[in-house]
Amino acid sequence: MAKVGVYVCHCGSNIAGVIDVEAVRAFAETLPEVVIARKDLFMCSDSGQEMVKKDIRDGLVDRVVVAACTPRTHEPIFRAAVEKAGLNKYLFEMANIRDQGSWVHSHDHEGATEKAKKVVASAVGKARNLEPLEDTFVPVTDAALVIGGGIAGINASLALANMGHKTYLVEKQPSIGGVMAQLDKTFPSNDCSACILTPMMVEVNSHPNIEILAYSEVEDVSGYIGNFQVKVRQKQAYVDWSRCTGCGDCTQKCPSKTPDGFNCNMSNRRAAYIMFPQAVPKKAVVDIEHCLNCAGREIGTLPTINEKTGRPILAPCERACTAEAINRSIAFNPQGAIKEIEVGAIIVATGFQVMEKDWFKEMAPASPNVVTALQMERIISATGPTEGKLLRPSDGEKPHTITFVSCMGSRDEHFHNYCSRVCCMYMIKQARLIKEKYPEIAINMHFIDVRAGGKGYNEYYINARELGINFFRGKVGGMEMLPGEKLRVLAYDGDTASNIEYESDLVVLATAIELPKDANVLAQKLGLQFCGSNFFRELHPKLGPVETAIEGVFLAGCCQGPKDIPNTVSQAKAAAAAASAPLSQGKVRIEAVISEIHPEVCSGCGICIPLCPYHAINMTTYADRPRAQIEMSACKGCGVCTSACPSGAIVLHGYEEAQIFAQIEALTA
Amino acid sequence: MIIDQKKIDEAIDTIVAYGGEYIRECVQCGACSAVCPGVRAGFPLLCRNLIRHLLNGQLEEIIEDSSSWGCQACSRCTEVCPQGVRPQEVVFAFRRYQANQLAFSTSSVTSQMNLFETGHAVYVDPKEARKKVGLPETTPTSAFDEQAKQEIQTLINNSPMGQLGLF
Repeated sequence: MAKVGVYVCHCGSNIAGVIDVEAVRAFAETLPEVVIARKDLFMCSDSGQEMVKKDIRDGLVDRVVVAACTPRTHEPIFRAAVEKAGLNKYLFEMANIRDQGSWVHSHDHEGATEKAKKVVASAVGKARNLEPLEDTFVPVTDAALVIGGGIAGINASLALANMGHKTYLVEKQPSIGGVMAQLDKTFPSNDCSACILTPMMVEVNSHPNIEILAYSEVEDVSGYIGNFQVKVRQKQAYVDWSRCTGCGDCTQKCPSKTPDGFNCNMSNRRAAYIMFPQAVPKKAVVDIEHCLNCAGREIGTLPTINEKTGRPILAPCERACTAEAINRSIAFNPQGAIKEIEVGAIIVATGFQVMEKDWFKEMAPASPNVVTALQMERIISATGPTEGKLLRPSDGEKPHTITFVSCMGSRDEHFHNYCSRVCCMYMIKQARLIKEKYPEIAINMHFIDVRAGGKGYNEYYINARELGINFFRGKVGGMEMLPGEKLRVLAYDGDTASNIEYESDLVVLATAIELPKDANVLAQKLGLQFCGSNFFRELHPKLGPVETAIEGVFLAGCCQGPKDIPNTVSQAKAAAAAASAPLSQGKVRIEAVISEIHPEVCSGCGICIPLCPYHAINMTTYADRPRAQIEMSACKGCGVCTSACPSGAIVLHGYEEAQIFAQIEALTA
Repeated sequence: MIIDQKKIDEAIDTIVAYGGEYIRECVQCGACSAVCPGVRAGFPLLCRNLIRHLLNGQLEEIIEDSSSWGCQACSRCTEVCPQGVRPQEVVFAFRRYQANQLAFSTSSVTSQMNLFETGHAVYVDPKEARKKVGLPETTPTSAFDEQAKQEIQTLINNSPMGQLGLF
């Protein structure tokens, strides 16, 4: 006979405001094997926990049921209390009468009370059948993987490396730096983006604990917290990076031209290119898709010999390279190379993309003088296509009137319902940078409303008004292309309730931040989930902002949701701290609520293997027969295999048959 | 409404020159209009709305509007403004602009004349009322003091008001 103690929580008025707590307590007393039923204003308070502990120490109870809030936040608290009092922590069960009771039935006090009684009876039924379980520990590889080399990945890597952990930083582009490297200046202090970013990039490159894997992508991830095996594909650069000095000579000689993605396709780069002047690592890449194979120098073929000189005829890039890093005779593998690494924790910092202007048909996207805000960054950047001169794309003339349009694709149910959070501020920043330099340019900014929440942000906005930048409350409805590459802006001033019309030379669309499409592929490899806004889902929106449902995998930066640089850096450092925890411990705890296969019952049918969302099940041999086996450190205890096993060979500890049937019995009594 | 930077600059420069120097700080929150007795009385172009029209460059378009003359100079707008715009100064600056363009509201002419003739913008003959309660019929103010009146008229004639040709 178990001795079950039931403790009903008022949760202040959260529960007691709806549910008759005393009635539930009194009812619990009548349940079989319940020896004590008590109540408290806050069971999670010190005094509430002490009540439970005392009853255990006094030998009154050996199973504990707390009827309160959600086990998601509070089960660990009560398990710890039970364990402290000397009882196995798995002899505890929680009845959620708040989230599933008082909160959802706030208008039906009587019904909510009756439901609470059933939920408590169910928990007691399970508690009577609980068995003690033991956690286990597995060792940890003291190394981390950071995916994405933007400002988030850079900060996460530096934080981890400074804590002493070996860190691999994987970046798909030839250089780290991310979108921040494309920005001109940054709000609210107008620091030059490159000036604050470049030193960090250099620090990453020279840090003894960091290994940058640039021009690389994560190919496959297996394993579990503490013991991930990762395959990284190092894409084929067609340049021997061990020899390349980053001098850039090849990029001067290469005759092939293709749109330069770094300049948002507003200028051309060569097929042999270095991503940008401050690139880290500063290495050249031959973009084979746009390579002209000059002098017939197809990759992997021997050069023709000049009959007169007897020398081989080389391609311009080869001739230019004095470091002998380019040799087109080598039969490079177009797939690149696979590098296998082992890490204990992974930080995903893959960033975002901005929407292209073509989505917004009413905004005259066909006009070259309608640009996205990221293109505007390149236009005003000293390393951009105009070397920092403010010239409109159509004819290279200086604009007299510039229009900024907010919320393009954000806060719009046709595209994204969320706010992209940074647009108001970067629009104001761009406007200020322009106005400070060219006071004679008229700048009209159109907002649904100005969102300047952040340290020093509102002050920054007010200063923009003082500079004489015009703000209008009301979004632009449309744009008409006029002769001379001008645009007629059709807007609205909500404050005077009147339509607005004027001609503009250059229009900047603040297009939304969104997760890039290829993020889906990575999500599948890692088992990441998506939130309603289609960013990677964190474990808890408030209390687990860097953790994910996959233990050992953490999030940082805009892949988790739109955020500015200060918030990105904060989250990156937080993710590094969280990832460092298992690495520093040297071992990770595996909770006992996981599934186990009884090999003598298993038929070896293998149905469970593809069903497991964590790839935790594999085939093994037991008594000369094929049998399924669960890797306990990868198992999350979801129970999919247990419910699917036709032989009933899989037991989910903590949710065993007798326990669940007891719950059903109580609920249907 | 056509948005034209030249007109915006002209409107703002005019208001700043006439004393409404913080007009650019306005974020159109409407706190000024919320406390304004003139707005409550139904004058459409006071406080927030006046400032918005000026920020849109609509200076000439609203010159004939009489709302600004409904301002009672109570200064509550300036007291509540969270941005330090000092809306009352903007209203007065706009009035000065209107007056200089001879765009007086008829409602204000009487007050100006009263001021010139009695030294009071709002003047009611007090004799009857005072007599009833047993007080001397005249008051010790400019209204019954010829020297004071003359001094006031000298001042007005030598101020910008005197150049308006009203008196």
